[in-house]
Amino acid sequence: EAPETQESPRLGESLECQEQRARAVQRERYLRSLLAMGGRQVSFTLHEGVRVTACFGAADLDVANFYVSQLQTPIGVQAEALLRCSDIIAYTFKP
Amino acid sequence: MNEWMKKTPLEWQDYIYKEVRVTASEKKEYKGWVLTTDPVSASIVLVNFLEDGSMSVTGVMGHAVQTVETVSDGDRRVREKLMHLFMSGDCQAYSP
Repeated sequence: EAPETQESPRLGESLECQEQRARAVQRERYLRSLLAMGGRQVSFTLHEGVRVTACFGAADLDVANFYVSQLQTPIGVQAEALLRCSDIIAYTFKP
Repeated sequence: MNEWMKKTPLEWQDYIYKEVRVTASEKKEYKGWVLTTDPVSASIVLVNFLEDGSMSVTGVMGHAVQTVETVSDGDRRVREKLMHLFMSGDCQAYSP
């Protein structure tokens, strides 16, 4: 009944273990969401109201950069690009 | 580092499957059901169910999150959908 993300604490489990388990579940889900984004058209909202769309390729493991292709910018299409995650406010895609 | 980034996984966990409103940098606002928060970047992943039956997924980068406010606690159906989202394919689960 209890989903894996919100299991009640296991008997005698330390706070540290609970936290580690929660961290693992949340990270796995995040990585799976990135995996689902691969090859899809993603719309990125950047600072200063800039919006760009691109085909998502990959992220590095500390989520510092997104590698994308066919980046459509106001001044043209970039075949391959790295978007700095610190420049991104949000991104949206349809799975 | 903002307040959201300072939270612990157990605190982020409380938001999973809930409907939230996220305010982000430059007065941007996002609403949706929480799928997860990346413990590394504190990016929050929201899911919206569209009228045509499809879904849209929005990630708000952790550094840009200003506030996260719970709008509703969610229901069983949403929970059921979110629980299985992106989980198909091989390796349904990894055990530590």
